[in-house]
Amino acid sequence: MFFLGVDIGSLYTKLVVIDPENEIVHSDLFRTMARNRQKRDEIINNIHSKYKIGYTCSTGYGRKLLKSADVIKTELYCASAGVTQIARIDKTIIDIGGEDIKLLTSNSNGKVIDFYMNSKCAAGTGAFITEVAERAELDVLEMSKLAANSKSDKELNSFCTVFAKTEIMKWIFDETSIEDLAKGIYISIANRIQKIPANSSLPVFLIGGVAFYHPYLKNIIEDRFNVKVTIPKNPQLINAFGAACIAQKHFN
Amino acid sequence: MYEIKTSKLLKQVMAGYFSAMKNKSRPLAWCTSVGPAELLRSFGFEVYFPENHGALLGATRKAMDTIPVASKIGYPSDICSYLTADIGSYIRKSTPLTKHYGLEAPPKPDLIVYNTNQCREVQDWFTFFGNEYNCPVLGIVPPRHMDEVKKEDIDNVAKQFRSLIPECERISGNKFNIDKFRETLKLSKEATGLWKKTLDTSKHSPAPISFFDATIHMGPIVVLRGTEIAKEYYRTLLAELEHNVKNKQGFIANESSRIYWEGMPIWGRLRYLSDLFKQHNSAVVASTYCNSWIFDAFDERHPFESSAFAYTTIFINRSEKAKLEILKNLIDEFRIDGMIFHEAKTCFNNSNSRFGMPARLKEETGIETLIIEADLCDLRFFSEEQSTIKIETLLEQISS
Repeated sequence: MFFLGVDIGSLYTKLVVIDPENEIVHSDLFRTMARNRQKRDEIINNIHSKYKIGYTCSTGYGRKLLKSADVIKTELYCASAGVTQIARIDKTIIDIGGEDIKLLTSNSNGKVIDFYMNSKCAAGTGAFITEVAERAELDVLEMSKLAANSKSDKELNSFCTVFAKTEIMKWIFDETSIEDLAKGIYISIANRIQKIPANSSLPVFLIGGVAFYHPYLKNIIEDRFNVKVTIPKNPQLINAFGAACIAQKHFN
Repeated sequence: MYEIKTSKLLKQVMAGYFSAMKNKSRPLAWCTSVGPAELLRSFGFEVYFPENHGALLGATRKAMDTIPVASKIGYPSDICSYLTADIGSYIRKSTPLTKHYGLEAPPKPDLIVYNTNQCREVQDWFTFFGNEYNCPVLGIVPPRHMDEVKKEDIDNVAKQFRSLIPECERISGNKFNIDKFRETLKLSKEATGLWKKTLDTSKHSPAPISFFDATIHMGPIVVLRGTEIAKEYYRTLLAELEHNVKNKQGFIANESSRIYWEGMPIWGRLRYLSDLFKQHNSAVVASTYCNSWIFDAFDERHPFESSAFAYTTIFINRSEKAKLEILKNLIDEFRIDGMIFHEAKTCFNNSNSRFGMPARLKEETGIETLIIEADLCDLRFFSEEQSTIKIETLLEQISS
């Protein structure tokens, strides 16, 4: 018997199939096409023809769209379930997605003790990086490498993504190096996270698409927060993995 | 499907209230919702409450059209959205009162009275209309944010209430009659007692009235307290709810959790939120907001002092320390599992999440707490998807 976790995020849909030992036997990642559900349905049908799926758990912004889901859970619970499967300890999880940042504390059993999610503004999310990097004429996939070579501590001050783009124009006019531009964008994200109340004595797990494409954020957060930060393997799949673990738990 | 049948009567009662204003036969006063309405009524004034209009603009989502109009003339959209929605509605000459109650516009005031026991915004809001209508504006300015209300505070406010008398006499044409004041206060006390009993029915499980329903049924206690009509209305409503309690009928048959709503309603999303909690069998059974119109302290033997005490001791006018104790008692009485703090962008005074209260309350009581960022009227400050995830995560926290 296998279990399917489906994370329909704002930018990408992630699917994970696990076996009864919670090992990932299959995963998929493709752009969330809200209008075109055919591709998603085809992929899920293929999974069903290949694996005998006991239960399916859906999560993410589109969690209520998946008609075949047996269980629906929020990303925060799935993040907690997924990371807890990897590390059965008390921990802080930072999930930076396409359009939000979630920070949660979860115990060794995966119970969410506390959580925070910004619902006022999406500055500091994946969409923020994409927007500002575009203005800075940086390749988002190169940003991590560039930032690693910067000694700068300069950060973007503006809370608003659009005004941050104006600010970065000024940096370019001042002939700021591309390495410093990249690092400045990361520092501004870390500073936004730093304002969120959290127990600073707990180890941090950084997950989500931003952790995958921008691994240097780990160094900046470690440096600023003075904590150990771990980016698990396939950080963008953790919520789908957690959903699959929850599907199994409910099946049993 | 569970429904409160007295809702039909509510429509009649509210229509009757506004109809009396349409055929204005008596002098009319505007008053803040937690202002000295009983004193005004004792002079024979019809009393109109602009905050009720603000709530109606929010619930009908007309506020989204009227707030920008007020912003244009210097009342920006980050200040009280009741104020901006109401002033915008006045400038635009457009009100939901027309569709719902046949009133072309809010009734023109002969006197305007505010009490800053809730916030200072009402002063500027009501003064705007005083200037527009060339109408006298009188203000009560009590001490604020108190641990406890002391005798000198009561004397201070009672003196301010008494100082309203000459202008009320002049405008109404009626001499002050203390017996009428006592009688009005007695009626108000009776109605408020019935309203408390109404809300207290939800201490039972399954609860017969939700916070969302209560925000609608609270209409008469806000606008008609001090009248027989309000008293009779709550007698009828209470009888129905007590009957439902006896028959174990509630708005959610099997409650998975019991939630307290702290702060203002999100008027334009009441239905959405009500349905969201229902989907999860979660019962929102109590609130600070609806409890704010319970005035236990009214005592017709000492009408000035007791009403001064009642209106000064309201939750919103208390210190963080006093608020914490009030909330802890309500959590206990209503057997609450989780508390939602609505942090209303434009209502600093009625957002109690900004000085560490949710964390303190969680630590002291063990219940889960959550802050929702939104607004009473301005839906641009409400991110529905993000807020839904937060609420659902809170409910998962409680159930796991």
